[in-house]
Amino acid sequence: MWREYSADYIKQNRSSGLSIVVAAFIAALFLSFLCSLFYNFWLDNVEGTKMETGDWHGRITGAFHAEDLELIEQFANVEKAVVNEELSGEQKTTVDVLFFNKRTVYRDMEAIRAWFKAAESDVTYNYQLLSLYFIRIPGDSMPRLLMPAYLAVVLIVCVSLILVIHNSFAVSMDSRVHQFGIFSSIGATPGQIRICLLQEAFLLCAAPIFVGLLAGIALSFGTMKAMGMLTAELVGGRQVNFYWHPAVFAGILFLSFLTVLISAWIPANRLSRLTPLEAIKGTAEMQLKKKKRSPILTMLFGVEGELAGNGLKARKKALRTTSLSLMLAFFGFMMMQCFFTLSGISTDYTYFKAYQDVWDVMTTVKDTKIEAFGLTAELKELPGADNTVLYQKAEALCRLPKDAESEELKNLGGVTVFGEEVADDEADFRKVKASVIILDDESFKEFCGQVGIAPRIDGAILLNRIWDSIHSNFRYPQYIPYVREDLDTVVLHRMAAAGEAGQVMDEKDSAKVPVLACTDMTPALREEYGKSDHDLVHFIPLSLWREISGKVGGAEPDCYIRALAGDRTSPEALCALEDEIIKIVGQTYEVESENRIQEKLDNDKMIAGYELVLGGFCVLLAIIGIAHVFSNTQGFLRQRKKEFARYMSIGLTPRGMWKIFCIEALVTVGRPMFLTLVLTIMAMAVMIKASNLNALEFIRVAPVLPILTFIFTVFGFVALAYFLGGRKLSKCELAKTLRGDSMSE
Amino acid sequence: MEILKCEGVRKIYGSGNNQVVALDRIDLSVEKGEFVAIVGASGSGKSTLLHMLGSVDQPTEGKIFVEGTDISTMSRTQAAIFRRRKVGLVYQFYNLIPTLTVRKNILMPLALDKRKPNQEYLEQIVDSLGIADKMECLPNELSGGQQQRAAIARSLIYRPALLLGDEPTGNLDRKNSREIIDLLKLSNRNLNQTILLITHDEKVALEADRIVTIEDGRIVSDEKRR
Ligand SMILES: Nc1ncnc2c1ncn2[C@@H]1O[C@H](COP(=O)(O)OP(=O)(O)OP(=O)(O)O)[C@@H](O)[C@H]1O
Ligand SMILES: [Mg+2]
Repeated sequence: MWREYSADYIKQNRSSGLSIVVAAFIAALFLSFLCSLFYNFWLDNVEGTKMETGDWHGRITGAFHAEDLELIEQFANVEKAVVNEELSGEQKTTVDVLFFNKRTVYRDMEAIRAWFKAAESDVTYNYQLLSLYFIRIPGDSMPRLLMPAYLAVVLIVCVSLILVIHNSFAVSMDSRVHQFGIFSSIGATPGQIRICLLQEAFLLCAAPIFVGLLAGIALSFGTMKAMGMLTAELVGGRQVNFYWHPAVFAGILFLSFLTVLISAWIPANRLSRLTPLEAIKGTAEMQLKKKKRSPILTMLFGVEGELAGNGLKARKKALRTTSLSLMLAFFGFMMMQCFFTLSGISTDYTYFKAYQDVWDVMTTVKDTKIEAFGLTAELKELPGADNTVLYQKAEALCRLPKDAESEELKNLGGVTVFGEEVADDEADFRKVKASVIILDDESFKEFCGQVGIAPRIDGAILLNRIWDSIHSNFRYPQYIPYVREDLDTVVLHRMAAAGEAGQVMDEKDSAKVPVLACTDMTPALREEYGKSDHDLVHFIPLSLWREISGKVGGAEPDCYIRALAGDRTSPEALCALEDEIIKIVGQTYEVESENRIQEKLDNDKMIAGYELVLGGFCVLLAIIGIAHVFSNTQGFLRQRKKEFARYMSIGLTPRGMWKIFCIEALVTVGRPMFLTLVLTIMAMAVMIKASNLNALEFIRVAPVLPILTFIFTVFGFVALAYFLGGRKLSKCELAKTLRGDSMSE
Repeated sequence: MEILKCEGVRKIYGSGNNQVVALDRIDLSVEKGEFVAIVGASGSGKSTLLHMLGSVDQPTEGKIFVEGTDISTMSRTQAAIFRRRKVGLVYQFYNLIPTLTVRKNILMPLALDKRKPNQEYLEQIVDSLGIADKMECLPNELSGGQQQRAAIARSLIYRPALLLGDEPTGNLDRKNSREIIDLLKLSNRNLNQTILLITHDEKVALEADRIVTIEDGRIVSDEKRR
């Protein structure tokens, strides 16, 4: 009988069911998309880890023979035991063991260890891989961040979906308070009413949840494929597979139903708690409790504005879902757009624009000292390159007389005012941080020419500037000279041998370097000179470095090749140049390479991907809101016949009625828009402040167009909904409705 | 046999300054098979009393026994089950579920208990109420009088101990109201059904065995006519 009641109700009130169906569909779609995507990320992570660390669970080292290997494989839970050739030596053999049941890996490895009487230190575990299977072994200290993050995201999504959907249910249920009052008066218990409502929710939502779930999986499949295509273009990209498992499907199904049923349970429980008396009298909720005025609407639009305000207030509850979901959608969309714009400006500043002119292809030569690199001549001959520089970075300390500081710096209070750690050495000297950039000789000579001195390779050129971080921020830095122009030598010390303040340094750990010039010019390299640590930057030719590197040291492990292409605008030219360099260097050295245009394209693609996923969520939220408006306006005939008949009977014209609808549509979209606009502006103000940007710079490129497009699209749909509802209403003969028919609900 | 007994029933709405004493120490006893009319001015507390007897509301003070069970302290679920089995409520507005047919409306109290209807008894009621040919209609396809008959059929389907009517004829014309009262009297006599009826209509009141008059929440007269 209950089922019949629900079925009859659903049949006869399709429009109010619509918003619930749409909401359930979208909830399932989104949850299934997210979970399936996370599942794939996770397995992809597992695959990546297997490639990185090797596919093994436990590892034991000892003097094993072939028969021992067989013995290990006979342990009950062992799937496979293989000798790791790479790690095995003459006497010691390392065996990689894989288990069937990874849960007991610790116990089983201990058993193997006990059998061979091996020491505890002979056994290691693949913590990184096992942690992905949620197995924690004593001694494992890998942080578990991924899963909690996934769970948190899913939880947040569930809660926000519940927040939005429960209103859809509430509207449909509250419109029947009176009916449930009747049920209650003839003896339906609160439990029965709750069950009836939940059953109804189930009936209504089963199909859309199922369809949404499949659609979500299809969507995540598409996303994974798209990402596969993206990463395939990158160097070292891995094949991306789509993973799928019935248990995941079951899990998502459960989660979707749980979300929808909790959403239904909230209003159902509230309804079942009403006393029959409240319920049977209970149309009170749907009417205006107190006569409130709408001063703004009245002022703007006159009488129609006031009537529209009343209409909106009377259906405030019904419109709450719309407001909430539109607000979330607008806020999400605006924040996303603004955030990406802001971060775009920021990366331009620190990366793309800032280094626009100083590089095309960057190649990192791994684990190579610049002195030992033997292909410089070949690189200089590259056909597609205009200019190639080989360089390496090193860190050292510079022993500087106190009076060598420039007047400007002295006036500020000396280098110590920037809070950097500076060791006082004797009374008149300071040891300050020095960063050393070693250029190949030819490039150094070119730099000499740029600075305006005769080309030499027996001294250093100092970058004579220090960032005045007191009077400027990192975004718009101001520099002052670091040292006196006439400084003629500096002494570089080994970083590691810094020692105590005042301690005289060992001769063998320091080198005297003549200063060729102090300049504020820099060679064209993709480097940020001395900004983070206020260090004194030295440019040194390779020949000089050969002499002093034994004493000063401190070089980074890798060295770099920076190339500028002849044709700097075509992606093909850059790729060709990149290939050329890799061909020359890659045979002898391990290299990693980037190229400027490709980098920019990849970055753009990545941001486009983020925008797609986040924007998609916002669109889904907006759809929930719009669906709600539709189901509301489709019910106009039933809900508002009398209201408008009354207005008409006292002289409202059809035009007036349309005006009321226009105002309502405007307010429906306008209010959430206005609120979120204020919120977004406030949030952006904080973010702009925090990132030290000039606000004008953001405003100039603010994403006004996409935001306006989004808002107007939503408004278009809402207006359409009102138009369809209003047309129904204007077609029916309102005059008749004032007579009779008042008691049949 | 005493079927209903009220002992010192008080009902107070609101609190503090807004307090309204709707019922003030009502003592009442009704025998099985009695037909009682409750009359009184508007706002005197008639509906309030009826709601207490139907366990739709609970008294602030005092006890109410129906067939020996105290219903004034029941939980919500117990009260609902009690209403379903022991009480038939009929209101001025017919309170049928608009989306269900008349038949389903009438059988709803049984369905709530997952019980099958006794076809013979159903036919007997429906025939005597004269709505046999309207069983598959929706409520809004019926006239007011027919809807009220359906509501009465629903309230009788469980053979309740008490039939409580809150101005069941208040919304009907003279002819229809006459017929409804005759039907109630018929079930009172034939089925020995106990009936309590609120009415503003003197003619209706005079049909009853006993007239209880309420004024300002107190019983001011209790007149047995037969
Ligand atoms: N929910 C309520 N809250 C506060 N006061 C109430 C409530 N229900 C009833 N009352 C008050 O209790 C008193 C009795 O009301 P009741 O409905 O029982 O009167 P009645 O005799 O049925 O009147 P009528 O003949 O008009 O139906 C009235 O003064 C009324 O204002
Ligand atoms: Mg009353």
